[in-house]
Amino acid sequence: MIAGIWLDALDDIARTCQEHGRGDLLQAVRLKRAHLLDPALTVLVVGEPNQGKSQLVNAIVNAPVCPVGDGRTTVLPTVLRHAEVATATVVQTPPPTPGAVAVAGALERTTVPTEQIAAGVAGTAGRRPGAGPAYVEIGLPRALLGAGVVLVDMPGSGELAATGATTPVAALTRADTVLLVSDSTRDLSVAELNLLLHLTRSHANVVVVQTKTDLVPDWRTVADRNRRHLADAGVPASLIPVSAALRLRAAATDDHALNAESGFPPLIARLRRDLTGKPDVLARAAVVLTARTVVEQLAAPLRAELESQRSAEESGPMTRLHAAQREADELRRCSIRWQNTLADEMADLLSDVEHDLRDRTRHILRMIDEAFETADPLVAWDTVQEWLERSLVEAAEANRRWLVERCDWVARRVADSFTRYGHGSLPPWPLVVPTETGEPLPEIERPSVDRFTVSQKVITGMKGSYGGLLMFGLALTLAGMPMINPISIGAGALFGGKSIHDEGKQLLRRRQATVKMAVQRHVDDFFVRVNKDSRDAARQAQRMLRDHFSALTEELQAGIVESLRNAKQAADTDAVARERRHREIRQRMTRLAALYEQAQQVAAAARPAPLAPRA
Amino acid sequence: MSGGWRLDAAVRDLLERALHVYRDDPRATDRLRHQLTRLDEPLRVAVVGGWRSGKSTLLNALMGEEVAPVDGSAFTWYEDGPQPDAVAYSTSHPPQRLTVLRSGTGMHVDLAGWRAGELRDIVVRWPTRSLRQVTLVDTPALGVDEHGRDPVLERVLRETDAMLYLTRDTHGGDLRGLESARESSVGQAAPVHAILVLSRVDETGGGRVDALLGARQLARRALREPHVDALCATVAPCSGLLGLAGRVLGESDFAALAALAQVPRAELEPYLLSAERFGRGQPPVPLDAATRSALLDRLGLVGVRLATTLVRTGCDSRAALSTELVRRSGLGELRESINRLFVDRREVLKARSALAAVETLLRAEPGPGTAELLGTLEQILAGAHEFQESRLLAALRDGRLGFEAESAEEARRLVGGDGDVLAARLGVAPDATAPWLWEAAADARWRWQERAEDPALRLAQRRGAQVVVRSCDGMLAELATHRSGSSSSLA
Repeated sequence: MIAGIWLDALDDIARTCQEHGRGDLLQAVRLKRAHLLDPALTVLVVGEPNQGKSQLVNAIVNAPVCPVGDGRTTVLPTVLRHAEVATATVVQTPPPTPGAVAVAGALERTTVPTEQIAAGVAGTAGRRPGAGPAYVEIGLPRALLGAGVVLVDMPGSGELAATGATTPVAALTRADTVLLVSDSTRDLSVAELNLLLHLTRSHANVVVVQTKTDLVPDWRTVADRNRRHLADAGVPASLIPVSAALRLRAAATDDHALNAESGFPPLIARLRRDLTGKPDVLARAAVVLTARTVVEQLAAPLRAELESQRSAEESGPMTRLHAAQREADELRRCSIRWQNTLADEMADLLSDVEHDLRDRTRHILRMIDEAFETADPLVAWDTVQEWLERSLVEAAEANRRWLVERCDWVARRVADSFTRYGHGSLPPWPLVVPTETGEPLPEIERPSVDRFTVSQKVITGMKGSYGGLLMFGLALTLAGMPMINPISIGAGALFGGKSIHDEGKQLLRRRQATVKMAVQRHVDDFFVRVNKDSRDAARQAQRMLRDHFSALTEELQAGIVESLRNAKQAADTDAVARERRHREIRQRMTRLAALYEQAQQVAAAARPAPLAPRA
Repeated sequence: MSGGWRLDAAVRDLLERALHVYRDDPRATDRLRHQLTRLDEPLRVAVVGGWRSGKSTLLNALMGEEVAPVDGSAFTWYEDGPQPDAVAYSTSHPPQRLTVLRSGTGMHVDLAGWRAGELRDIVVRWPTRSLRQVTLVDTPALGVDEHGRDPVLERVLRETDAMLYLTRDTHGGDLRGLESARESSVGQAAPVHAILVLSRVDETGGGRVDALLGARQLARRALREPHVDALCATVAPCSGLLGLAGRVLGESDFAALAALAQVPRAELEPYLLSAERFGRGQPPVPLDAATRSALLDRLGLVGVRLATTLVRTGCDSRAALSTELVRRSGLGELRESINRLFVDRREVLKARSALAAVETLLRAEPGPGTAELLGTLEQILAGAHEFQESRLLAALRDGRLGFEAESAEEARRLVGGDGDVLAARLGVAPDATAPWLWEAAADARWRWQERAEDPALRLAQRRGAQVVVRSCDGMLAELATHRSGSSSSLA
C-alpha cells in the first residue's frame, strides 16, 4: 500500500516529463521506476585510488575476488552478483564492424576462467581491441548477494564523473547505496568532500567507509575528525570505520571476535537494512531525489524562457516598429540626398561637357590657323577640308562618349545613396542617350576666293613695267641716251615682275583670311549645334535618372510603410501572446512546484520509518 | 663542456643588467640583490607535499634527528649553525628568539605565546653535517585557495632552489600543482629542480611486509610515464617513518623488538594484525603498554612487523637492524639522489632559480629594456647545456635509459657526474697535459657520436648520447680557448 504512494508520485513525475516533451528524462524516470521495483540493492563502491576499495569488496563477500595490489589494479568496473557457481564474465559493447549497423545496447559477453579474474579486471583478458565500455561481472554463491545485494567496484579515480555516475540523467538510474572509501591514514580530502557533496545530490544513501583501521593506531581520532568534516561540509552521510585485513583474517580463522573488531558487522547490517528498506524508505528518498532532479531539469528551460522573454520585450516587435520608423526617416533623408546629388552632378556635367567641346573646337581652330599661315587655300583646301570634317566628327564623338560616361557615373553616384536598400537600383543601362544629332552637320562650302588669272597678271605686269621703263628712260635721256634703251627695258621688266609678285602675295593673304573666316564660322555653327545636342542629351538623362530613382524611392517607401504597419500590428498582437505564454509558464512552474511538494510528502510519510528501529 | 662557471657567469651578468634596468625601483632592486646573494649561499631544498603526506617525517629522516615539525603553518628553515638556535619571524612582531629544548633524539622548539598561523618563518640553526651545503625547508601542507592558486607552492618556487615533492600516488590530483608551475620559460626549460618522492610507502598495498619492493616497482613504472617524466628529475620511493626509525633506533628499542622476535611467529601474529591489538592487547612478551605504543609511534605497525621479521632472519644487533631498516626504507637511495642531483649540481640549480626570479620580475614589471633582457634570458636557457646534463644524470641514475653499465658509467662521468673539472669528466689523472685531455675528449666524442647515430639504439638512448656529444664538444671548445689563450700569452 505504501509502495503505491511513491509509485504514484513517480508516475506523476513521468507524466510531467511527457507533458514537457522530455523523452530523455522520461526514459530515465522509467528506468528508475524499474530499478526501484527491482528488489536488488545496487551498492556502488567509489573513492580515490589505493584506498582499499577492492579489498573492501573482497572483505564484504569474504573472498579474494577483486584483485588488490600496490598500483592501479582495478581498471574495469567489477559487478558482483549472486550465482550458484563462481563465474566471471567480461561484458563489453562490441567494436563497430564496418558494414554492420550498430545495435544500440548490444552487449557482448565473454566468459573468463575464474583464475583470470585479475587479468580481466585489469582490462587485459577477454577484451577485444576497439570494443566500447566494458565491465566485469562476477557471480559468487554468497548469502548477502543471494539476498539481493549487487556490489559494483569502480576503478579508483578522481575522474569519477567520466564514468557517468554523476551526470544527472545517468545518476537517476544508478546505485541505491554509494560507499565512498577513504583510508585511515589521513582525513577526508577536499576532493573527496566535493565528490560526496556531488553524490548526495543524486543519491539518497551515501556512506563513507574508512578503511585500513588496522594500520593506524589513532583511527578513532581520524574518524572523529572525518565526521566533523562531513558535518562542516553539510554532507548527510554516515561514517563506518572498517578493517578489511582483520575481516579477511577473521573469515580465514573463523574468529567472531576478530570479525566484530574489523568493524564490518555494522556495515553489513547497514547494507541489509538498506536492502529490506529499499521498497519503502530508500524508494521514497529516491523518489524525492528524482523529483528534485526532474523538476530542476524541467524548470531550467522554463526559467530560461521567462528570462529571455524579459529581454525579448526589448528585442521583440516593438523594436521592429522602432526600426521601421527609423527606416522611414532614413528613406526620407535618402530621397533628399539623392535629388541634391543628381541636380548638382548634372549641373557640373553640363558645364564640364560644354567646356570640353569648346576646348576641342578651339584646338581644331588653332590647327587650321597654323595650317593656313603658310598653305595656299587654293592648293590645300581639299586636304584641309577633309581633315576638318574628320576632326570635328571625332571631337563630337569623343565629347558624346564622355558625356555618356559622365552620365553613367552620375547615375552611380546617385545610386550610392540607395546602397543600404540593396543593389540593383541602377537604372536600366546603357543609358538611352540620343546618339545621333538631330540633323547632319552642314557641309562646309568652299569659300569664294580670288584667283590670280593670266590677264590680271599681264595687266599688273604691264603696269609695273611701264613705270620702270619710264623712270629709267627719262633718267637716261639726260645722259643723252634714247628713252628706250636696254637698261630701261631691263628695269621695266624687273619692275613688272615685282608688281606681279606683290600682287600675288596680297591675293594669297586675302584668300587665307577668307578661308579662316569661313572655317571659324563653320566651327562655331558646329559648336552651337553639338552643344545643344549635348545639353539635350544630358537633360534627357537627368530626367530619366530622376524618374527611375523617384520610382525606386516610391517603391521603397511603400515597402517601409507596409513593414511599419506590420510591425505595429505585430507589436500589438505580440503583447497579448507573450502575456499568455507568461501565464502558461507560470502555471507550469506552479505545477512543478506542486509535484515536488507531493514528492516531499511521500518522503515525509517515510521519515518516521527509519527512526523507529533506532529508537 | 659548459661548466658551471659559464652559466653562473651568464646569470650574474643578467642579474647585473637587470639591476641596471630596474635601478629606479627599490623593490625590484632588493629582489635582484637578494638573488645575487643567494647565488653564494647554500642550496635551498624544500620538502613539499599535501596534508599528512609525511613531510616532517621525511625531513627528520634526512637529518637523522627529530627536529620537525615546529609549526604546521610556517616555513621552517633548517640551517647549519654552531649551536641549536631558533628565531621566529612573524608578520606583526620583530624577529624573536625561541627556546630550543634538546631531547634524546632531536629537539623541540617552544612555541608558547604564539598563536597558530601567526608565524611566517622559523629559522632553526642546528649543528649537523647534513646541512653543510643544503638548507632544508619544511613547508605547510599544499592547498589550492579559492583563486585556484597554491600560495605555499608559489612561495616554494620563488624562494627555494629545489624540492622534494611528496605524493602518495603519481596519478591523482597531487601532481597538478607541479604541472601549473611549468608555465614560465624557466619552468619549461628543465624540470631538474624536483624529485618526486612516493611517500609513506610502508602503507602501500595494505601494509604488507614487501610493500617497499612494490613501491620501488611503482616508482619505476611512474618514471616511464611522460607526464611524470616532464615534471621531475626522478621518482624515489621512500618511507620516512622507517628511515627515521632506522637512523634513531636506540638500544632499548632494539631490545624490545628482539624480545618480540623471541615469541614464535604464530603466537605473535594475532597481535600484529592491527595497531590497536598491538597497543592494547596482551601479547606474551614482557613489554608494557607504553613501550609498545612507543614502538608503534616509532615504526608504525608495518615497521614493527618488518623489524621483528628482520630480527628473526638475522639482523641481530642494533646496528645491523638500523642499517637494514634504512636500506629498506629507500632513504639511502633518496639521499644519494639528493646528493648527486641537487647538491652536486647546486650551481646549476641556483642559477636556475635566479633565472626564474628574473623572468618573473621581467614579466610582472615590463619597462624599457626588459624585452631585451627577456631575450637574453631565453638565450641563456636555450644555450644552457647544464640542464640537459642534469636530466641525463638523473636518467642514468635510475637506469631508465638502459645503457649497459660501462657506457652508463662513462656517460655519467662525461656529463659531470664525478665532478665538473675536465680531468674528472674525462677520467684521466688530474695533472694531465692539455694534448692528453684533448685526445681523451676527442676520442670520447667520436665514440658517443657513433652511438648518437646508431639506429639500433632507442630514441631516448640516442638523445642521451647526443647530450654526451655536446658535453664533449664543450670540453673541446674549452680546451681550444685555453690553447689559443696560452699561445697568445706566449706571443
